[in-house]
Amino acid sequence: MSHVTPAPGNSRPWKARLLSHEMLLLYVLLAEWLFFYFAGTTTNRRGVVVGFGTWDRQFDILRHSCEIGLLALALTPVIITAGIDLSVGSLLGLSAILFGQLWHDAGLPIPLAIAFTLVLGALAGGLNALLITTLRLPPLIVTLGTYSLFRGLAEAITRGSVTYTDFPESFLFFGQERWLGLPTQAWIFFAVAAAVWLLMHRTTFGRSFRAIGLAPEGARYAGLPVGRRVALVYVLAGLIAALAAIIYTARLGQAKADAGTGYELFAITAVVLGGTSIFGGTGSVHGTLLGVAAIAVLKNGLACLPVVMRMNAAEEMSGLLTGALLLLALTAGVLPKMLSKLRPRRHAPAV
Amino acid sequence: MSRYFRELSVVGALAALLLGLAIFAPAFFSPQPLLSLVTREAPTLVVACGMALVIISRQIDISVGSQFSVCSVCAGLLAARGWPLALVLPASITMGALLGAINGALVAGLRLPSIVVTLATMVTLRQGLNLVRQGEFVNMPDAIQWFGLPQATGQLVLVALSVALLIALALAMRHLAAGRFVYAVGTDAEASRLAGIRPQLVTFLVFVFIGALTGLAAMMNIVQSPQVQPLSGAGLELKVIAAVVVGGVAISGGRGNLWGAFAGLLLLACVSPALTHLHIEAYWEKAIQGAIILLAVVADGLRSRKAGN
Amino acid sequence: MSAAPLLALRRIAKSFAGVRALRGVDFELHAGEVHALLGENGAGKSTLIKVITGAHQPDTGEITVAGQPVSELTPASAQALGIACIYQQPALFPDLTVAENIALRLESLGALGRVRWSARRTRAAELLARVGATISPDAEVRSLSMPEQQLVEIACALGAGARIVIMDEPTASLTQKEQHLLFSVVRDLRKNGVGVIYISHRLEEIFALADRVTVLRDGESVGTHPVADMSEGALIRYMVGREVAQIYPPAESAPGEVALALRAVGCASSGVRDISLEVRAGEIFGLAGLVGAGRTELARVLFGLTPADTGEVLLRGQPVALRSPQDAIAHGIAYVPEDRRRHGVVLDLPIAHNMTMAIHRRLFPTTWLRFGAERSLALDYIRDLAVKCSSPDAPGGSLSGGNQQKVSLARWLATKPRVLILDEPTQGVDVGAKSEIHKIIRGLAKDGLAVLLISSDLPEVLGMSDRLGVMRGGTLTAIFPAGTDAHTVMAAALGQAEKGAA
Repeated sequence: MSHVTPAPGNSRPWKARLLSHEMLLLYVLLAEWLFFYFAGTTTNRRGVVVGFGTWDRQFDILRHSCEIGLLALALTPVIITAGIDLSVGSLLGLSAILFGQLWHDAGLPIPLAIAFTLVLGALAGGLNALLITTLRLPPLIVTLGTYSLFRGLAEAITRGSVTYTDFPESFLFFGQERWLGLPTQAWIFFAVAAAVWLLMHRTTFGRSFRAIGLAPEGARYAGLPVGRRVALVYVLAGLIAALAAIIYTARLGQAKADAGTGYELFAITAVVLGGTSIFGGTGSVHGTLLGVAAIAVLKNGLACLPVVMRMNAAEEMSGLLTGALLLLALTAGVLPKMLSKLRPRRHAPAV
Repeated sequence: MSRYFRELSVVGALAALLLGLAIFAPAFFSPQPLLSLVTREAPTLVVACGMALVIISRQIDISVGSQFSVCSVCAGLLAARGWPLALVLPASITMGALLGAINGALVAGLRLPSIVVTLATMVTLRQGLNLVRQGEFVNMPDAIQWFGLPQATGQLVLVALSVALLIALALAMRHLAAGRFVYAVGTDAEASRLAGIRPQLVTFLVFVFIGALTGLAAMMNIVQSPQVQPLSGAGLELKVIAAVVVGGVAISGGRGNLWGAFAGLLLLACVSPALTHLHIEAYWEKAIQGAIILLAVVADGLRSRKAGN
Repeated sequence: MSAAPLLALRRIAKSFAGVRALRGVDFELHAGEVHALLGENGAGKSTLIKVITGAHQPDTGEITVAGQPVSELTPASAQALGIACIYQQPALFPDLTVAENIALRLESLGALGRVRWSARRTRAAELLARVGATISPDAEVRSLSMPEQQLVEIACALGAGARIVIMDEPTASLTQKEQHLLFSVVRDLRKNGVGVIYISHRLEEIFALADRVTVLRDGESVGTHPVADMSEGALIRYMVGREVAQIYPPAESAPGEVALALRAVGCASSGVRDISLEVRAGEIFGLAGLVGAGRTELARVLFGLTPADTGEVLLRGQPVALRSPQDAIAHGIAYVPEDRRRHGVVLDLPIAHNMTMAIHRRLFPTTWLRFGAERSLALDYIRDLAVKCSSPDAPGGSLSGGNQQKVSLARWLATKPRVLILDEPTQGVDVGAKSEIHKIIRGLAKDGLAVLLISSDLPEVLGMSDRLGVMRGGTLTAIFPAGTDAHTVMAAALGQAEKGAA
C-alpha cells in the first residue's frame, strides 16, 4: 500500500504506481464511462444522437457535480486529519438562504452578498472548529449537532416556505451558462480543486494535516500547532460549503432551505472512494476528484440507460449503487490488512 | 448523587419546560392531545432504547431511519396480503434484526468505523426501498390498525408496550450480565477481552438488537395509520441520537443509562408542541434540537475538562 | 524446604526481533515465601513477569507450577493456575464501580445470568477489608487514586484465590501509611501460604519484607540468596557488577558558557519539583535514576509540553517562558522523546517528511514545499548519521529501531538547537547502532551543543556524561563528576547515598 504522495524525484517502481488506489479508480472510471458511452447512447427517430455520448450530456455531468465536488474537496482535509464534518450539506442550505436574504431582503449588490455569505460560512465552520479544538469534543457529535442546527436555522429563517428567486441574469451566468466552452461553475470548481490540491500536496499545511491524522501526539511533539491546524480545516470546510451554496443557487436560480440535503453523504462517499482513509492520514485531492467523477458518471450514465429510463428510477438506482460502492471501497480498504494478519508475520529487517 | 448529576439535570430541564408550559400554555396538558403526542413518540422511544445500547457500546447507528422505513413497508405489504398480526409482528422484528446483522458484521467482523458503515447502509437501504417501491403508499387492512382494538385502547397499549420495554431494558442493563458486558465493552474493549468477554460478539449483537427494536418500532408505527408511508423513518436516526446524547449517554461509550435517554427523548419531544403552545413558529424546531444537542455535548466537554484538571 | 516449589523456572530465554531480553533465568518460588526480584531497568524483570503470566511465550526453558510442568502458558491458563499480577498501572474499567470491576474479574456469568448487586457489594467490601482498604464498593474507579486502584487489584487477586501473586513495584506511588498497610497485606498472604514475587527498587522494603532475593542482570539470574545473608552494599554490587563491555567516546573539548540553567523549576501536575542545574555548551549532562523518578517529566517541562509552574529556566543567561513546544523550538531547545514510535517518528510518513517536520517554518518560509531542499537536507542527514534506508521516501516504519532513532535525532538536529535533550536514545537499539549513536552524541557536544542525556542504561550514562545528575522522587538528589563509579550512582538512585558509599 502506498502511504506517500509521489514527490518529484520519487523513485517508486512503475508497477506500484500503476496499482495505486488512484490509478485503479481511474481504470474503473474509464470502464464505467465506456460502458455508458456504448450502452447509454442512442439515435432518436429524427436521426439525432442522444443520451450519454453527447457533449451536452458530458457538460451536464460536469455542471451537476460541482456542488458535491466542492463539498468533497472541503471534506478531504477534514478526513485526512482523522475528523469528520457532517454539517456541510446543512451549511450549504443555510448559506444559500443567507445569500438570498442578503441580496433580496438586505438589498446588497450580488458581489457583496457573495462576500458576506462566504464570511458567514467560514464563521459557521469556525463554530465547529471552536467546539472540536477548545473543548476536545468528538467531531462526529459536534457536527451532528450543527448538522441539525444549520438546517434548522435555514428552515426557521425562511419559515419553511420562502424561496428566493428572480436573481439577475448576470448572476445566473455562473450556474447556467458556459464560459470558454465549459459550464461557468466548472471553472470555479477547478480553481478551488487546484487551490486545495496545492494546499494539501505542496504546502506545509497539507504536511501537518497528514501528520495530525496519523499521530496527533507525535505532531505535538514535533512542535506543530495541532489545534490551529485542526481549526483551519473546519473553517475551510465552512468556507467551501458557502461557495457551493452560491453555485447551487446560481444553477437552480433559487435559494431554498432544503438546498443540499443529503449532500454530505455523497461528498463523504466521494472522498472515501477516492482513497482517503476514514482513520485519517492517507489520501489525496486527485483521488477525491476521481471519486466525485465516478459517482457523477454513474448517476448520469444510469439516467441514460434505456432500461433505467423505462423504470424512471435513475435517482434511486444511483443512490443505491453509491451506497454499495462506499461499502465496497471500505471493505476493500481493510481486507488486505485482515488477510495479512492471517499470514505469518515477517520479522522487521535487521540492520 | 453526583453520579446521576447528568440524568438529573436533564430531568430538571424537562421539569422546567413542563412548568413553563403549565403556566403559559395549560392547554398542553389536556389529556387527548397529550395522549396523541405520547403515542406518536412511543416507537421513537423503542428505537432510542436500542440507540442507547449502541452508543454505550461505543458505536453509532445512523441507518435506523432507513431500517425503520424498510421494516414498515415490508410489514405493510405482508399485512396487505392478509397475513395476521401474529405473523407480521415477528416478521418485522426479524427483518430489522437481519438488517442490523449486516451492520454488525461489517463493524464487528471487519472492524470498520460504525459511522461510515451505517452511513452507507442508510443510503443503500433508503434508495433500494425507493427503487423498488417508487414512493408508493401501502394501504393497510383495518384488522391491523390499533391492533384491531378501539383507537383509545390501542394508544394505551402502544404507550404501555414502549414503557414496559424501557423498564425491562433498563433493568436488564443493570441486572443482567449481558447488560454489564455492553458497558464493559464500551468502557474498554481490550480490558473486557482480558476479563473474558468477547467484545466483537457483543458489538455484533448490539447492532442486531437495535435492528430488532427498530423492526418492532416500525410495527408500532404502522398500526397508527391506515397507510404506510415509505419515508416514515426519515430523520429518525438524528432524533434518537439526539435524545440519547442529551440524556447523558457519553458518545465515547461506557457511560449513561436508559432513564437518561428517556428523559432526553421527552425533552426533545416536548419542544415541538411547546413551540406551538407558546406561539413560537414550529420552523424553529430543528434549530432548537440542534442547539440542545450542542449544549449537552458542550456541558459534557466542560465537565470532563474540569475533572481532568 | 522439601515440597516441590510453587513455581520453578529453568533456563528461560526470550528474544525480541533479535534482541535477547532473557538469556537464561532460573527462579524458584515456594509457598509461603516473599521472593524479591531485583535488577536494573532493562535487566529483564518485566519480560520475566510476562513469561510467568503467560503474556509472552519463552523461546526455551521450562516452567513448572507446583511440580507440574506447564508447556503452553497463556494468560487464561496462568489465571487458572492461580497466578495473579498486580501491575503498577492497574488495568481496571474506569467508568464502572469498584464492586463491578471485582465482579467482572471473578464471576463467570452467562449472558443471561443475573447480576446480584448486593452480593457483589458484600463480596467487594469483604475483599477490600482484607486488604485493609477503606474504599466504597460503589465508587467509580475513575474517582480513585492510583494506590486505591492498586488495592482493588490486590483484592481481585485475593478473590480469585491466587497462589502466586506478582507485585510489580506496588509501592511506587504509595504514601508511607499506605505502604505499611500493603506490607501487612503481603505478610497476610505469606501466612496463608501464598507465594509472592515482589519487585521493588526500594532496598529497605526488600529487607523488611522478603525472605529471599534473586538478582537479574542483563537478562540472566546472577544468584538467589536469603535476604538475611545480604547487605545493601552486596545487593548493589550484584546489580551493577559487570565488566565494562563497551568503550565510550571520550570528551574532546572543554565545556563553554552555561547554555541552560534551571532555578528551582517545578511542575505540580507532573510531579517535578525544585530542580536546579546547569548545562554548559559542549557538555553532556547525564540524568540517571529509576523509571518513574521524574526524568522524562522534567524533559517535558523543558520542552513546554507540561509547562513549569514554579522556578525559572534561563537560556544563555536570559530567563525564558516555555509554554509550548513551539516556544521551546524557537528558543533552540530540541527534545528527542523516549517513545519513538508514538512521539518520535510518524511511521507512515516518509523519512524526509519526518526529518523536516520540526523546521517547516525555516525550510519552507512561504509555507510552499521545496522538495529539492528537503531531499538534499534528508540526504545530508542520512549520510551524516549513516541511516540505513532505501531512499528518503521510504516510510519511517520500514526502518529498524536504531535507524528510526537516527531519523528522530535528525529531525531535531535540523532545528539547529543549542540545547538537545535526549530521552533514552538507545532504548531498544541493537549494539552496533548504539555505539554509532554514542559517537554522534559526543560529536554534537564537541560542536558546542549542550546535551541533557536521560538514560536508564547505567554504563551508558556513566560512560557518556561529563557530569551526572541523579533523580529520585521527582527531584534532583545528587550531582556527580565524570568517572563516578556505578555503585555510587546506583546507590543514589536507590536512595542509599550515605550508606552506599561504605
